[in-house]
Amino acid sequence: MGIYLWRRVVVLVPTAWLVLSLIFLLSRGLGAAPPLPSLEADAIGLTDPTSQRRATEQRMRHRYGLDAPLFYITLERSYLNPNAARRWQWHGTANQYHSWVKQLSRGDFGFSYRDSKPVTSVLLDSLRHTLPLTVGAAVLATTLALALGVFTRPRWQAALRSILSLLDILPLFVVALLLLLLLANPDVLAWFPAYGEGRIATEAVWWQQLGTYLYYLALPLACLVLVTTPGLALQLDAALQHELGQAYATTARAKGLSTSRVQQKHALRNAWLPFLTVLAELLPALVAGTVVVETVFARPGMGRALAEAAAARDFPVLLAGVLLLATIRLAAYILTDWLYQLADPRLRPAS
Amino acid sequence: MIRLFTSLFLLVVFAEASSCSSSPASRELPLRVRWIRDPETLDPLTQPNENARQGVNLLYQSLLTVDYEQQRFVPLLAESMPSVRHQGARTLITYRLRDSARWDDGQPVLARDVEFTLKVMNCPDLPNEEVRAQFGFITALQPDPLDSRRFTLVCEGAAPELVLASGDFPILPAHYLDPQNKLGAVPLAALQQDSLALRHYPDVAPFVQRYKAAQIGQHPDALPGSGPYRLASWKTGQQLEFRRKPRWWGQALQQTAPQLQARPEQIEFHVIPDDATALLAMRRADVDLYPRMPAREFGRLQADSARHPELSFYTAPSYDMTVAGFNTRSSLLAHRLTRQAISHLFDVPQLIQATQQGHAYRSVGLINPENKAFYNDSLRPFAFDPTEASRLLVRAGWQRTATGWERQRPGQSPQRLALRLSYRAGEPTYEAIGLQLRAAAAQLGIPITLHPTESSVLSGRLRAGEYDLYLRSMTGNPFVYNFAPILHTESIGSGNFTRFGTPDSDRLIKSITTEQNPQRKARLLRRLQALLQAECPLTVLYFNRYQIVAASRLANLQISGLPPGYNVMAITSRPDDSH
Repeated sequence: MGIYLWRRVVVLVPTAWLVLSLIFLLSRGLGAAPPLPSLEADAIGLTDPTSQRRATEQRMRHRYGLDAPLFYITLERSYLNPNAARRWQWHGTANQYHSWVKQLSRGDFGFSYRDSKPVTSVLLDSLRHTLPLTVGAAVLATTLALALGVFTRPRWQAALRSILSLLDILPLFVVALLLLLLLANPDVLAWFPAYGEGRIATEAVWWQQLGTYLYYLALPLACLVLVTTPGLALQLDAALQHELGQAYATTARAKGLSTSRVQQKHALRNAWLPFLTVLAELLPALVAGTVVVETVFARPGMGRALAEAAAARDFPVLLAGVLLLATIRLAAYILTDWLYQLADPRLRPAS
Repeated sequence: MIRLFTSLFLLVVFAEASSCSSSPASRELPLRVRWIRDPETLDPLTQPNENARQGVNLLYQSLLTVDYEQQRFVPLLAESMPSVRHQGARTLITYRLRDSARWDDGQPVLARDVEFTLKVMNCPDLPNEEVRAQFGFITALQPDPLDSRRFTLVCEGAAPELVLASGDFPILPAHYLDPQNKLGAVPLAALQQDSLALRHYPDVAPFVQRYKAAQIGQHPDALPGSGPYRLASWKTGQQLEFRRKPRWWGQALQQTAPQLQARPEQIEFHVIPDDATALLAMRRADVDLYPRMPAREFGRLQADSARHPELSFYTAPSYDMTVAGFNTRSSLLAHRLTRQAISHLFDVPQLIQATQQGHAYRSVGLINPENKAFYNDSLRPFAFDPTEASRLLVRAGWQRTATGWERQRPGQSPQRLALRLSYRAGEPTYEAIGLQLRAAAAQLGIPITLHPTESSVLSGRLRAGEYDLYLRSMTGNPFVYNFAPILHTESIGSGNFTRFGTPDSDRLIKSITTEQNPQRKARLLRRLQALLQAECPLTVLYFNRYQIVAASRLANLQISGLPPGYNVMAITSRPDDSH
């Protein structure tokens, strides 16, 4: 098993690295400059002359290290003869990619272009806000999906399936806005706060702090649970229905076991396999956050941080975020493989 | 499970109620303002967005500031407007700082602080590229040997706007950031040349490191400021809270200098990115001020204002405009009559109604019609007139054929009039304008394809001239009339996206920037508007209005068309509403 997992790591890590390198080269190769409002020239009446604008851009590129060649080898036009065809040129280690890899090898992700904060602190701060929301939602959604899939009485199943299918087709932003307009609206019900994480009084005791925190978390959490649960429950239900149609389930029933007993004791273990795949898909989503919920409920988090970094061309934050997500996704693949083999011994490689 | 959820819910409700009741009663309600985004940094050198500028202005002060109501510059740290002398191609601007101006630690604000700030603004390797370019015209500071508060700024150029610009940067405390006066020995001119400063002045690099390590942008509370507020808390992406200083030097002068007023005791900026959530927050009274509300939401809320007596509605003509630009170097649009013809296809009144709920207003050009002295009211904006457009196309050499409009070119195949309209993706206003233009042009037989483009890619394409037409927003102001960055031939490839420029227009633009006499300046600006309408490198579709909704308990908002549209430091609570 250990060798098998090690092999998976050996294959997946270079793949992830290749993807990340491609993103690095493409994002920087597009020539997009870091954000500098005056360079966008949308304001009339600036006193800086045009010549200074170019110098400004050059200085900024120099400060960010964007004036160095992009890669070890690039296609360049000759300075002496600009009309000549472009030729490949070797730059040695004095290039952006090499500096970036060197930085990464020291565990240094650099600084955000926007606020000059260390990228690590930007991501950790975002995760601190995102993880309680996404992990909470994942735990609740999985519990609910199991409860609905396994413990629902047969006569309710058809109606439940219809409700879950209806919920499943609703986009996240619709659910978020619906919850907001229904439960945080003075014209309907203003039971919950509309945005933010609330202000926790410093003199409040721990349960008051927890209460305030949960009060503000309720709607975003409900939103994620409502969107995640149907997919999980329907998947589990489909897998269970499939297993219950198998010969071994019929035999068990013929021996006098009740349907629910067959489901819980025999079918559930086999129905786990497709369910595990869906669960593993949740893992990267836990870290990536959810930009829609974070934006609608004005909560900071990983999704908003990455979306804003992309919009502002904040490459250091963006690349570190992609690296983190790629790592988590790889871990999710490996974890799924391992759980698969744990759940079904037939899938284990021959020793 | 139901029991578990019920218990949890009760815990939450009880805890919420307890935490609310346990909060101490404040003397005055805080002023809560909606911000659409986080300021990212409060470093006076960077100020990457309007919110950052607003935050920095609460902490630090510049020599001059804007009087929002009168829309003119007034002295802030300076005791009066500066005296100006011209010396050849240079302008000498003399300021004197107020005697009572103090930093938080009680130290006086002196000419040394201004000199130090100018040096920091030019230090290599600091995130100061933009201020460096903007204030690069200040080449030296001459302190008065007899008066530590008096100094003269030596500025390159003679444009009257330099005087206002010379006082528009926040001043930093030299005694705190450079207690040993290491930068004192480095001339400003040397710092303006990066390599020279680092090579010849070994104290510069350690200072830069220290400044970076201080992380002023994230921890401005560690630095003494001269402004009336201090940053009490900052939850990134959520909320910033500023508290008025109990003892601030400007308090004693508020009767004689209204620009030094700081009325709210506590100001909170709530970061709410989504407009729908912000609207709900306003209606729930979670925020007191919603600046620049989208026109549609503002219209709906105002129409229902009888149900919302707790809200007040304000509008102000702004300097933000929506502009259509033409690539004047594209062979299709090289003829001015072709550009004029396309301009006649924008149904601007309908667009104003559709996109701005009728709140925007038209203009013949880049000068705001509210500016009566400089606006050329003898001109008329392009009317929606497809017949006139056809006539102009014929005059420009185009011929209507069964498939569209074509033009014969000697020795080449006929040229077909088909255009690409580029604009920033995800912007409903541009989408609406593009669709209207496409429909009007299609009826005339001109195919126009819409190219919504990602912001940075669009900027690159506009700079490189890889487009036919574009839509974008621009911001003007009532103080500076320097059109060189957007219309001079020297700016082609940087800010002059239309690639327009003739020797005449270049001369005119330069004359406007240097003209001192207001009457002559007005004449030149009117000429420029006429020239731009005739040449039509760009068409101003409309100027926007700021729509602001505030809680009725607020008074003295000093609503204006200058960003952010209100004066946060002037706002007061009506007497019966304060606690």
